[in-house]
Amino acid sequence: MKIDFTVNKKPVSVDVDPNMPLLWVVRDELFLKATKYGCGKALCGACSLHVDGEVYRSCSMPVSYAAGKEVTTLEGLSTETQIHPIQQAWIEEEVPQCGYCQPGFMMAAAKLIQEIPNPTDEDIKSSISNICRCGTHPRIIKAIKRAAAIQQASKI
Amino acid sequence: MSTKENSNKKPFSRRKFLRRSAFVVGGSIVAGYLGCTPTRRYLAQTMENLDFPSLVSSMKPDFWFQVMTDNTILFNSPKVEMGQGVITGLTMLAAEELEIPLDRIRVEHANTGSGIVDAMGTGGSNSTLSLYVPVREVAATMREMLKTAAADHWGVSIDNVHAENGEVSYGDKKMTYAEITAVTKKWKTPKKPKLKPESAFKYVGKEVKRIDLKEKVMGTALFTIDHERNGLLHAVSLECPYLNGSIKSIDVSEAAKMQDVVKVVQEDDLVAVVAINRYAAEMAVGKIKVEWIIPKAWQQQEIIDLVTVGKGKRVNVQHIGNAHSMVSKTDGKVFEQSYRTPIAAHAQMETYGSLAQVEKDEISVVIGSQAAGMIQGQVATAMGVSKSKVDVHIPFIGGGFGRKMLHNNAAKAARLSKIMGAPVKLIPTREQEFQNSVYRPNTHHVLKALLNEQGEVEAITHDQATPDMVFKELGGNVGLSLLGADWLSAGHGASILYNIKNRSTSIWNSVVPYPASIWRSVGIFPNTFAIESFMNDLAHHTQQDPLEMRLKLLKGGDELNQRMSKVLEKLKTQSAWTTKPKPGVGRGLAICNDRKTIAAAAIEVAIVEGQIKVLKVTEVVDCGKAINPAGIRQQVEGAIMMGISSCLYEEITIKDGKISASNYHEYPLATLNDVPEIEVVILENAPEPFGIGEPPLGPVAPAIAGAVLNLTGKSPRSLPIRLAAG
Repeated sequence: MKIDFTVNKKPVSVDVDPNMPLLWVVRDELFLKATKYGCGKALCGACSLHVDGEVYRSCSMPVSYAAGKEVTTLEGLSTETQIHPIQQAWIEEEVPQCGYCQPGFMMAAAKLIQEIPNPTDEDIKSSISNICRCGTHPRIIKAIKRAAAIQQASKI
Repeated sequence: MSTKENSNKKPFSRRKFLRRSAFVVGGSIVAGYLGCTPTRRYLAQTMENLDFPSLVSSMKPDFWFQVMTDNTILFNSPKVEMGQGVITGLTMLAAEELEIPLDRIRVEHANTGSGIVDAMGTGGSNSTLSLYVPVREVAATMREMLKTAAADHWGVSIDNVHAENGEVSYGDKKMTYAEITAVTKKWKTPKKPKLKPESAFKYVGKEVKRIDLKEKVMGTALFTIDHERNGLLHAVSLECPYLNGSIKSIDVSEAAKMQDVVKVVQEDDLVAVVAINRYAAEMAVGKIKVEWIIPKAWQQQEIIDLVTVGKGKRVNVQHIGNAHSMVSKTDGKVFEQSYRTPIAAHAQMETYGSLAQVEKDEISVVIGSQAAGMIQGQVATAMGVSKSKVDVHIPFIGGGFGRKMLHNNAAKAARLSKIMGAPVKLIPTREQEFQNSVYRPNTHHVLKALLNEQGEVEAITHDQATPDMVFKELGGNVGLSLLGADWLSAGHGASILYNIKNRSTSIWNSVVPYPASIWRSVGIFPNTFAIESFMNDLAHHTQQDPLEMRLKLLKGGDELNQRMSKVLEKLKTQSAWTTKPKPGVGRGLAICNDRKTIAAAAIEVAIVEGQIKVLKVTEVVDCGKAINPAGIRQQVEGAIMMGISSCLYEEITIKDGKISASNYHEYPLATLNDVPEIEVVILENAPEPFGIGEPPLGPVAPAIAGAVLNLTGKSPRSLPIRLAAG
């Protein structure tokens, strides 16, 4: 079935089984590899991306659901001229170790600082349930707060 | 040990390498002498203190470094990056001698074709130590080759030729490394590359950001699953969820009919769906109707019982004084406790998959593995070709922790590729990663201490029951039958380090029906939990401060004991140990030595809504010379989170013959919710860099247990800690 939507602001059209998870569509049909396969059951968050501005775990979202919608993956978070505050903060706090879960965390975090511009530790802890095995959690919390500050500063 | 002092005397440390590596390569030679216990004990203690060898197959600098036309240097790293930061540390070392800015060195993992993969694999926290001198020697050789070539080009003596900032100069003459490389036809290899004194280091010892940082943040870092090939097919194999189970009957007809499926392969033990996309392959595998032969419906209690001190073959690995008979007294002064740790999964975020392409008799494999050299051999054997026909490329690894060794599907992917005549990507599902994997084995520990009238420890014994983690997996001549028990990995850290006159440690080899393997820190995790929990129990029993008691037990000891004391003294001040914890807060500590890195943690916990909450962790590490303190801090923080996770949540259980957990919901890990206040202190009380990837994990669980004991008066003696049961 032919399904049209936009990915990172570009219109795309795919002809796949409508039940195919969006994860495999962005990765293997559109070759956007940042979004990762972790658990396949919406448990770990490695596949998190945005659909119409909301965070979804794409391993468990049929591509048909994205029809006509705007999908953003990590590749689309920054623009060519402006690095996203989350990615800037992730670099400044030196968050990643193995790096595999980080795209999902960054997508969840990008939404969080949009919703809560000045999140507390508790806001962060209760909003993001993604899994990381390297133990980068302490830095993720620091980076989200730093990203919020970068975001605030850029608005002034 | 003294690699540093000797480093400048020889052109290469190749001979030293070969001598050290003979320990493992020559396993078949020494194995014949291992029958008697004293020899085994000697070997166990020697291995425990050995700087693990690096079996790098070539010291020729052009295999390691290539000068590129844009005057950058490509570094083919023999050790692989799985998050631990090793390529950053090695590149810092290389940059010192190459005289080129750090950001002008590009790193790739060496593949088996380029000749310098480490046959030992990456693990055991030995990468930086084992390559501390060799990387600099090879880099210095490369720099001298460039200087010699420039001097020859200019027709001047090398004496006044300098290398700096990627350029070689003589007076006002200057050439970049790339320019020299472009005009040089014949290279001369200098005999004695001089290493710069450590006082002249530009990068080593400074906080340097990891060199893979931007790729990993911008999403361009490539893992196995991200690799593409023209005509790539996607496969998912059928794996039996039952321990040692096999197929009784199978019906693949429905799977074969599904949309986008190309073929259902059935060849000997290999059953897999090959499709034009991953979704179809995974869905179709679910449609295969299969009846399994279940050799035995193992239950959890049986697995626990199998691993029990007193059962199986015993190997004594530490025998100082007369501890064993002293603690066998029955006059009431012997303090005895037992401890258990559970089976654990690695649960790394990237499942262990591979991509293989067979073309004629050449096989290329992409696999995020800690053991490229060994996988090359596995694939060659499975495909009936020589190793030289197999090229193994290692991309970034999405977490290793010991999981990414020999238990992999590269040979299956290669077989599928040959059958299909196309490249095949074979990525396990998360369910397969949980249920068809290898595991940290469960362990049982019995510790006994003989106390004198003053409550001082006169003798101590530790008996550890554990399945073998490594010999079975490595195979070869150094078999379990000769060595009795796995003191190398599972028994690592089992010996008692405190300066007690009478000490004895034994490993009992347990035989279990599930595949046990190495897991971050190998034996350090279970053994530190047992020994250090016993120390906390002992302090509680004798009404001593657990930190002061340890300092007393370390007094008058060897160099290691002195370093341990320094770490504890630092921990005491840094964690404000002598102050009283707030009401409702318990405080505990633990210390370990993992191949000369000392790590100690003081941890504060509270009980919130019936759950243990870790509030604060202070960890002091002495890993000798700190190459990159920023990288060390990252590793310690990560180990703290993994330690909290393992201590409070993680347990693999077996029910009706299979691993119960199928996905993360049944194997919960620590999350952002568990992040405590963390303070990391780095001491440098040794001249060489020791490992840091694993050691800081050791003290976390026993320090939490000690804090619970401090808070509740009850000592948790099995993991994960469950308050109701404790």
